[in-house]
Amino acid sequence: MGKQRSMLVVIVGLAIAAVFTIVQLPTQLGLDLRGGSQLTLQVLTTEEITQISERELEAVQRVIENRVNGLGVSEAIVQTSGQDQLLIQLPGVSDPGQAQRVLGGTAQLEFRSQKPGTEGELRAISDIISQQEIQQATILAAGSENITEEQLAELEQITSALQTSRETLLELFDDTELKGDKLTDALASPRGTGGQSWEVSIYFNNEGGSLFTDMTRNIAGTGRVLGIFLDSRLISAPTVDVQYASTGIPGNSATISGSFNAEAARDLEIQLRGGALPVPVEVVENRTVGATLGRDSIQRSLYAGMAGLVLVLIFMAIYYRLPGILADIALVVYALLTWAAYNILGVTMTLPGIAGFILSIGMAVDANVLIFERTREELRAGKTLYRSVESGFYRAFSSILDSNITTIIACGALFWFGAGLVKGFALTLAVGVAVSLFTAFTCTRNLLFFIISFPQFRKVGYFAPSLDTDLPSNSQPS
Amino acid sequence: MKLNIVKQRGIWWLVSGLLIGISIATMALSWSQFQGPVRPGLDFIGGTRLQIERDCSDATICKNPIEIADIRTILDGQGLEGSSLQLVGDSGQALSIRTRNLSVDEQTTLRAALAETLGAVDPNSSKIDVVGPTIGKQLLTAGLLSLIVAFAGITIYLSLRFKFDYAVLALLALMHDVIITLGVFAILGLVAGYEADSLFIVALLTIVGFSVNDTVVIYDRIRENFKLMPEKGVNDIVNDAVNQTLGRSINTTMTTVLPLLAIVIFGGDTLKFFALAMIVGFIAGAYSSIFIASTLLAWWRGRSESITELPAPAAE
Repeated sequence: MGKQRSMLVVIVGLAIAAVFTIVQLPTQLGLDLRGGSQLTLQVLTTEEITQISERELEAVQRVIENRVNGLGVSEAIVQTSGQDQLLIQLPGVSDPGQAQRVLGGTAQLEFRSQKPGTEGELRAISDIISQQEIQQATILAAGSENITEEQLAELEQITSALQTSRETLLELFDDTELKGDKLTDALASPRGTGGQSWEVSIYFNNEGGSLFTDMTRNIAGTGRVLGIFLDSRLISAPTVDVQYASTGIPGNSATISGSFNAEAARDLEIQLRGGALPVPVEVVENRTVGATLGRDSIQRSLYAGMAGLVLVLIFMAIYYRLPGILADIALVVYALLTWAAYNILGVTMTLPGIAGFILSIGMAVDANVLIFERTREELRAGKTLYRSVESGFYRAFSSILDSNITTIIACGALFWFGAGLVKGFALTLAVGVAVSLFTAFTCTRNLLFFIISFPQFRKVGYFAPSLDTDLPSNSQPS
Repeated sequence: MKLNIVKQRGIWWLVSGLLIGISIATMALSWSQFQGPVRPGLDFIGGTRLQIERDCSDATICKNPIEIADIRTILDGQGLEGSSLQLVGDSGQALSIRTRNLSVDEQTTLRAALAETLGAVDPNSSKIDVVGPTIGKQLLTAGLLSLIVAFAGITIYLSLRFKFDYAVLALLALMHDVIITLGVFAILGLVAGYEADSLFIVALLTIVGFSVNDTVVIYDRIRENFKLMPEKGVNDIVNDAVNQTLGRSINTTMTTVLPLLAIVIFGGDTLKFFALAMIVGFIAGAYSSIFIASTLLAWWRGRSESITELPAPAAE
């Protein structure tokens, strides 16, 4: 009994911790519930690039991240999916038209030379841009949950101002023939031996090489910069050393050095390579849900699920009597623990995810049903109450284990091969099943043994009401 | 009450045989009409679906329900004849349109034209799904692949825990449930216009996971009874096992179906058919576990007449 009591203390502690977790760590809602746009981009192969490798996909991802940043959407996510797809989540976006327009298309990498006499303007506009970028990042960092209406309006204003500033900046440069298609590669490497300072080497084809030589000859030593633009955003602005004033930089390659650390150099490398890729991307899937529509469906489904569960709880109490009531308590603990586990594991809750949760409660009920049916059988066979409960748990264990593992196998198959919503469902169900194994064998069990340590609860009628009057014919002597 | 499952197996097999026959026939019919055992929806064939709702904060806009004929005229004007069109919601203020794959510009033009006719449209209650044809194929392959892997995984696990013949028979019972669920939804597709989405595949997989549960519980009991009473015949052992687990089978199916039923009746549109598919599958699963998987095992073991000792379950 002492053991049961201490286990119960542990369980109560866990339940309280779970409630605390649920309150402190908000549940992450999927876009189908909170509203927003989810797009799948397909990276298309071309004649030059017939296969998309990991390196190329990473480069394209960086290009897309650039574009997504330009949209000014809070908590936007860009991730790779499979070998040649990108998954983009834009919370709160209800008109996907703009996003779809901005995100599709081939990356545009341009080398432009600064117009003479614009040095002061360039410095000024660069300062403004970096200020605006900081402002934008500050608001976005607050997270979409906490953002106010005012901030949202401000964000919109900054995003469009930033757009204007970038266009102004672009105007300070002369367009040239040198575009991404003439860049063959870019590579970041440490400079010298220290490894503190990095540089990025760029390589052109012959045509690009001679264009680059001409361009660098013109601006070398003038203090004007060479502007490297990716999708009309300045990603690097190196100057050209005076020693190249007569010759230009020869040999189809050049090195951009400066105050790069490893991270910055690598970032530039990936952006350059992404810009050099002539691969177009296409929006192949777009799912957009309005914010209130999402809210409606979460509420309706949650209420419906809750109503169903309350019915289940009532049924358990009526049919299984005392153990049923204890199982109800265990199920509430189960629901709390599972919910907390979702929040801790960072499971994104989607509509099918809610269904998975509700189903996993069904599994948790099943474990209890198996145990109680078994207990009743043992009682009918004439065993004492304590022995019956004991062997009810013991004998039901292998059934519960087998049945739960088969469900987890199905979940595993869904998780590995499924995408998006399907994954969410598999994850919530699998987590739920794992937690249900735990609660059935700790929570229900200890509660039951605790209660039968009190003599007033030790009545067979509380466990199997029909036992005295209706002795079933299928009882087995053991 | 004690059922003699094994003796009446002719009836159970006949019922299942009929249901499977009808299911396969409707799937064939569905295939001839929609090129799929169940009418495939947007997720699998691709296209654009637009759901918009009027902004009813201004009551004058929502005085009358949306006129389908007006919308049809707009669609025809944009070369979108043959698109499906349907009012959603109770008050007829929301609209769902399904067309071929639209480009961004086409979408924008369509939305603008619709907004003009409908009055103000609430962007917060709108929904857009664009699925390219390649994605549709990808979803379908991924779904089928996970179904096959789940089948294989379950067969391997059951072979290890029980015996290979148990695993194969459990698999047969599973296919029975999947086929019947497909059949019911093929009928719904033909009669009520239901279209399968990727959630339908999720439902099928859940059915697989759940109905194998029922079978496993009964098989577990059969295995235990073999060990406790090795002198008994296979028919008696199977009968006992089914009867001993009958209460559990019925109660568990009921407690699982209850919340799903609540979702079907009160839940949001997205989950209605998802929940319904699972209800159909779970009931078929309970039936096949109680009446089919058990009698098949009795028949198979009785035929081979070599009841060997099974490996003890890990728990004991």
